[in-house]
Amino acid sequence: MKDTELNRRDVVKGAGALGAAGMVGLAGCSGGGGGGSDAPIEVLHGWTGGDGATAAEALEEAFNEEYPDTELDMNPIGGGGNQNLDAVVANRLQNDNPPSTFANWPGPNLGRYEGVLGDVSDLWEEAGFTDSHVQEAVDLHQYDGAFRAVPLGSHRLNCLFYNTSVVEEAGVDPSSLNSVSALVDALETVASETDATPMTHGGSGTWTKTQLFGVTLLGQAGYDEYMNFVEGNPSRDAVQGAFESLATIFENYINDDSASIGLTESNQNIIDGEAAFIHQGNWAAGAYRNADDFEYGSDWGFKTFPGTEGMYTLHFDSFLYPSNNPSPENTRTWLEFVGGEAAQIAFNQYKGSIPTRTDVDMSEFGPYLQETAEDFADADQRPPNIQHGLGITADQRSSLNDVISSEFTGPYNVEAATDGFIDAVSN
Amino acid sequence: MRDFLSKTRTRLRRAVAADAESGDVGTDAATATDREPDPDDGTVVTDGGTAAGGDGIVDRLNDRFGEDFTESAPFWLPPFLLVGLFVYGAIAWNFVISLTDYQGFIGPDYSDLDFEMYVRAINDSAVIDATVNTFLLVVAFTAVALGFGLVLAILIDRNIRFENTFRTIYLLPMSLSFVVTAQFWLWMYNYNNGVVNIVLGTVGIGPISWIGNSSLVLWAVVFALVWQFSGYTMVVYLAGLRAIPTEHYEAARVDGASTLKMYWRVIIPQLKGSTISAAIVLMVFALKAFDFLYSLVSGYRPPNGADILATKMVREAYSTNNWAYASAIAIILFLMALSIIGPYLYYEYKQGNL
Repeated sequence: MKDTELNRRDVVKGAGALGAAGMVGLAGCSGGGGGGSDAPIEVLHGWTGGDGATAAEALEEAFNEEYPDTELDMNPIGGGGNQNLDAVVANRLQNDNPPSTFANWPGPNLGRYEGVLGDVSDLWEEAGFTDSHVQEAVDLHQYDGAFRAVPLGSHRLNCLFYNTSVVEEAGVDPSSLNSVSALVDALETVASETDATPMTHGGSGTWTKTQLFGVTLLGQAGYDEYMNFVEGNPSRDAVQGAFESLATIFENYINDDSASIGLTESNQNIIDGEAAFIHQGNWAAGAYRNADDFEYGSDWGFKTFPGTEGMYTLHFDSFLYPSNNPSPENTRTWLEFVGGEAAQIAFNQYKGSIPTRTDVDMSEFGPYLQETAEDFADADQRPPNIQHGLGITADQRSSLNDVISSEFTGPYNVEAATDGFIDAVSN
Repeated sequence: MRDFLSKTRTRLRRAVAADAESGDVGTDAATATDREPDPDDGTVVTDGGTAAGGDGIVDRLNDRFGEDFTESAPFWLPPFLLVGLFVYGAIAWNFVISLTDYQGFIGPDYSDLDFEMYVRAINDSAVIDATVNTFLLVVAFTAVALGFGLVLAILIDRNIRFENTFRTIYLLPMSLSFVVTAQFWLWMYNYNNGVVNIVLGTVGIGPISWIGNSSLVLWAVVFALVWQFSGYTMVVYLAGLRAIPTEHYEAARVDGASTLKMYWRVIIPQLKGSTISAAIVLMVFALKAFDFLYSLVSGYRPPNGADILATKMVREAYSTNNWAYASAIAIILFLMALSIIGPYLYYEYKQGNL
């Protein structure tokens, strides 16, 4: 009798133990990490399509050529802008299972990884990056008194691209546009003289609007007011003025289907000659390069966003260094490579961005990027962007996009948007 | 263990024997006789035999939860524990996180628990909007999909030609993933060249900015989801209709009911079960509309006016790493789901189906 009972219990216990073992086993899977300096370098990035994928491949190839003995594990995670990449990175950092390095933006954006980024100051020192990269890169890659990342390349954000034949048909000379109001007048001319959309805008996400706000504020209110905004002392007049111009543009001069299209379709309007102007970062030029019979100069052109002449709105693509690194030594090798000339040429010429180093030979880049690099070197000011991490924190950026979503996706509520933006960035 | 097995064997034999006895006694006499001299059988005539042995806990458990409770434990206990940990444990942990101030990547501080995040959620107009939108989406989508599916089912049930073809056509959208249908409808809702505006244009309406208008976009999403799921409702109702005996139709006819009255008074009331089970599935799908909205804009910030709790939650978690706040929103969403599933489970329990 007693035996029976014990046996039954044993069975129950056994089952429980089995279940527990199963859980431990499962838990074990998510653990991982650790490892010595011999572990391969796991690089997470979001360049999965088009120019980005080509550029990432070129980068990998260049690395393998230079360091044939170091194992490199490129792990691209695409989709949703960088949203999927950020989510994967966030989960892994949270589980204390960081990758060797991951692509992201430096500047105040580093704040969201507070506490999990390592210090690569000695690397910057040894490799001489502090001298070979532009001063803004040196400043923006530090957080909390130490270097946390290494830049790979830079896109420019104050760009106005146009379809040459459309602006010629309208009789507009883009190079003469030197203020936001001149741009609005030019848009009016395009609207009355041609059937084309004056300015194409992909508004299915809010980021394109936030980005356009940044450049409009910069072009209309000037560098100082822009920096006041970024630094948390916004002037109401400046912000409201920018929103008024934006409301004029959005109400009158953009494509009707703006809400249901994204950047790709919007950019296609320029290539197809259905729109005159588009504001974007210069990653948009990658699509022009890949389009057939669409050449820089004869088919499409570039103008510094009106009012921002002499400036270069900064953007950096960088690799961040997580502390508790699974491959500390190899990751350093990778970061040293990323900040070097070979990597910056290999990657940027395909990505459509320019090196952050000041000593790179630009002969392998196309004419458009060569001009961009000259503008970059000669720029009087290089203000940080607001939508891509360099000017404001991730929290502030999210708030700005909330405001755009609720107040400025049509109908365009200038007052409420101004209040929301000022609230979001004010110290 | 051996004992356990032998006992199981005995039980099985007994069951087989009982079966045989109730059926044809003559043929399986061998089984019946075989049962008697089994040496193991002595002490365990029934489960009561074990009970007489007197170990309290097992007995009490068996008395409370049914006679097989401990004996069947190896079969249900491991999945029970796994589900308990990974589903209910996760919910509980999520709730605890929602009581902390966890944000960023420096672990949560469990020593300071309060309901601050819930207070913040109640005062956050974006959360209120998202809750209202979630609620509207669930209710409108479920109601319209049920109504539409019922009409389709009744029409198809009237012995029409090409019945199978129509059934397949209506059911097909269900086989597509949210990602595909979201892209379809994004194109169809395009202001300039979307088929919706082109069709409306032929009758002189529009064009209408379906995605860009914050008071329309939620209904545009509901319509697209109804398109996808009314086929499913139709199949559920069709099965229900087929289960109703022809006599009921005939009796209603004999009593002089019109077609409309027959359906309204006789047939539809008998579809209660189908309605409830279809409604539950639809509501759950409505709560999962995250996929649809995410694919619609390739990101977790839906068009203004279509933000739901699921997208708001993911945005809080991953765009700003406000884990505690996102957890609080998740709990709110969970309670909404529970308020739908709870009554259903209670209803099923009352019906004796659980």
